Amino acid sequence: MSAVLLWVVCPVENAQPLLSLVPRNGRRGRSCKLSSTGVSAACSSAVAHPSRSSEERVYEVVLKQAALVREQRGERALDLKKPIESDDMADWNLLNEAYQRCGEVCAEYAKTFYLGTLLMTPERRRAVWAIYVWCRRTDELVDGPNASHITPKALERWDKRLNDLFQGRPYDMFDAALSDTVAKYPVDIQPFKDMIEGMRLDLRKSRYENFDELYLYCYYVAGTVGLMSVPVMGIAPESKASTETVYNAALALGIANQLTNILRDVGEDARRGRIYLPQEELARAGLSDDDIFRGKVTDKWRNFMKGQIKRARKFFDEAEKGVGELNSASRWPVWASLLLYRQILDAIEANDYNNFTKRAYVGKAKKLVSLPVAYGRALMGASDLAKLVVR
Amino acid sequence: MLCSGRLLAVSYPPNPPRPNSCHFWSSRIRHVNPKLSSRWRSRASDPDSSSSSSSFATSIDSDTTDKNAAGFCIIEGPETVQDFVKMELQEIQDNIRSRRNKIFLHMEEVRRLRIQQRIKSAELGILKDEQESELPNFPSFIPFLPPLSSENLKLYYASCFSLIAGIIIFGGLLAPTLELKLGLGGTSYEDFIRSMYLPMQLSQVDPIVASFSGGAVGVISALMVVEINNVKQQEHKRCKYCLGTGYLACARCSSTGALVLTEPVSTVNGGDQPLSPPKTERCSNCSGSGKVMCPTCLCTGMAMASEHDPRIDPFD
Repeated sequence: MSAVLLWVVCPVENAQPLLSLVPRNGRRGRSCKLSSTGVSAACSSAVAHPSRSSEERVYEVVLKQAALVREQRGERALDLKKPIESDDMADWNLLNEAYQRCGEVCAEYAKTFYLGTLLMTPERRRAVWAIYVWCRRTDELVDGPNASHITPKALERWDKRLNDLFQGRPYDMFDAALSDTVAKYPVDIQPFKDMIEGMRLDLRKSRYENFDELYLYCYYVAGTVGLMSVPVMGIAPESKASTETVYNAALALGIANQLTNILRDVGEDARRGRIYLPQEELARAGLSDDDIFRGKVTDKWRNFMKGQIKRARKFFDEAEKGVGELNSASRWPVWASLLLYRQILDAIEANDYNNFTKRAYVGKAKKLVSLPVAYGRALMGASDLAKLVVR
Repeated sequence: MLCSGRLLAVSYPPNPPRPNSCHFWSSRIRHVNPKLSSRWRSRASDPDSSSSSSSFATSIDSDTTDKNAAGFCIIEGPETVQDFVKMELQEIQDNIRSRRNKIFLHMEEVRRLRIQQRIKSAELGILKDEQESELPNFPSFIPFLPPLSSENLKLYYASCFSLIAGIIIFGGLLAPTLELKLGLGGTSYEDFIRSMYLPMQLSQVDPIVASFSGGAVGVISALMVVEINNVKQQEHKRCKYCLGTGYLACARCSSTGALVLTEPVSTVNGGDQPLSPPKTERCSNCSGSGKVMCPTCLCTGMAMASEHDPRIDPFD
C-alpha cells in the first residue's frame, strides 16, 4: 500500500499506545473511549463529535471509502463518471512528461520508495508517483521552507485546486498527472481532503494529549495515503475478504508507518519544538517534555519506548492480514515496504532506544535481503497466510 | 504623468487601511511612518519612485499579517495574475522600477542589520556557529578529492608537481635504465602488440605521436570528468519540480496559452459553408503564458530544503 509514501511525506510522529483497531466483525472493546456511535457519515475530517473516539470516526471514513469503491466499480462499467479525455497530442505529451517528472521527483526525495515502485506494473507505478508528488507538495506547504508563508488562504486555494483536478480541470502539470490517475483508478477525494486537514492540524498543534489525538493525526497524514493507494493497487478478484478489511489493513499500515517515523525521529522533531508522543503516556512513564529535549536515554525512556514499539508492531501485524488480499502484481512491493519499515523498529532497538542522536537506519544489505523474503510472502495468497497465522 | 499623479494623490495623506482590492498598490495605504518615509524620499532617485516607494515602504514595514491581508499567497489561483490587469503599460513599468529599487534598499538594510547583529552578539558573548573569518572551502570538482581552500591549494600544487615530476623521471630515466619494456615480463613493444593480437601497424607508431595521443586522451577525459561533476553539482541546486525554470506547464491549456472555444455549429442553415477555424481565447489559468508558478521554489528555480535539511530562505 501507500506505506512507502510515508517515508518522505510525513514528518516524524509519536508512537502512541496501540489501541486495537476496530475490525468489521465488531471486536470493539478495549477502547476506553467507546461511546454510543451514531451512524453519521464522516463527511469532513473536522472534529465534530468529541465524544466519539478518533478510531471510530476514522473507521467510518474507511467504511465510506469501501462503499464508494464498490459503487464506482459498478459505474466504471458504464463509463459514466469518466471525464472527457481529449486525444490531443499535446495533452498526451504533456501527460507523459508530467508522469516522467513525478518519477524524477520521487527518485530524488525517496530513493528506497522509488525502488519499491519499480516492482509494480508500469501503470500502477505512474499512478503511485502522481499520488506521491501531490502528497509531498502538500506536505511541503507546511513543512518545507515556504512554511513561514503558508496561510489558511493558501491551504484553501490548494483545496480548491484539488477539487478542480478531481473534476478534470488540473491547474499545473503535476495536478494533471494526478487528475489522470484519479480518472483511471477509482480513487476518492476524501482521503486527499483529509490530508489537507491534517496539514492544517499540524500548523496548530505541536503536542498531543493522548493516543486518540495522535491516532487522528496519523490517520490524516498517513492513513489517508493507505486509503488513496488501495484503489491503485487493486484488490485481487479471487479475494474472499471484504473491501473494508482490505481498507482497514491499508489504514493500519499507514498508521504503523507513521508511528515508526515518529519513533525514529524523536530527537529531530524535538529540535524543531515538536513532540508527537502523547503527553498522557509520557506522564505515566514518568517522563516530561524536558526529558525529551535533554535527549538523554534513561531506563524510564527505554521502558517507554519498548511499549511504543510494541504498539507500532501490533499495527504492522494488523496490516499484514490485508496484504494478501491485494492484486497479485501489487503484493510484492507492498510486502517489501512493510518488511523494510518494520526493520526500522528493530534498528531503534539496536540503537539502545537512542532516537535522540542516532538515526535508526536499515542498511542496504538488509534492504536487499528483504526483497526476496517479500517476494516469497507475496507468492502466498491470503489463505496460506491465514493457515500460518492460525498455527 | 497620469499614473504618477495618481500615486502622489494617494500616498501623501495617511489614509486608513482599505480592504483588499484588485488594485494592488491602492490597498497598501497605511499610516505613514514619517521618519521612514522621509528617508525613502531622500534616497529615491526621481520623484515618481519616491512617492510610490513611500506609499509602499510603510506597508512592507508592517509584519506578515499585513502581507497576508494584501493578498500575498504562495499558492496561485487562476485569478492572482489578474491583480494588475487594470494598470497601463507605463504604470506597470514604473511600478516594476520602484519595487526593484525598494528591494535593493531592503537588501542593503538587511546587510547593515546583520552587521549590527554580529557586533551585538559578540558584545553579549553569544558565540556564532560559523566562523566566517576564515576563507570558505570550495568543494572540489574532481570526485573523491577533499575540498579546496587556500592552504590546501599549496598542498595541491605540491602534490601535483611531484606527481608529474615522478612520472617524468620514471618514464624518462628509471624505465630505460632498468630496461623495462612495455608489457609484463620484459617483452618488447612489438612482441606485446603481437601477443595482444592487435594489428601490427600499431607497433610501428611513432613514439612522439604515441605519447602525444596518450597525453591528449588523458587530459580530455580528465576535463570531461570535471565538467560532468560540475553539472551534477549545479543540478543538485535546481528545484526538482520545475527543473530550475521556476515554472510548471499550465495544464488547462497544455502550455499553449490558448483555450479552444468549442461551440456547437448548427448545420441547418449554414450546412454548405466550410467550418471556420475554432476561436481561441487566452487561457485564464496562466493568462496566456502557458506556465504557472512553481509553488515549491516560488519561481526561484532553486532547490528548496527539505524538512531534514534546514537551510535559510533563498533571498538570503
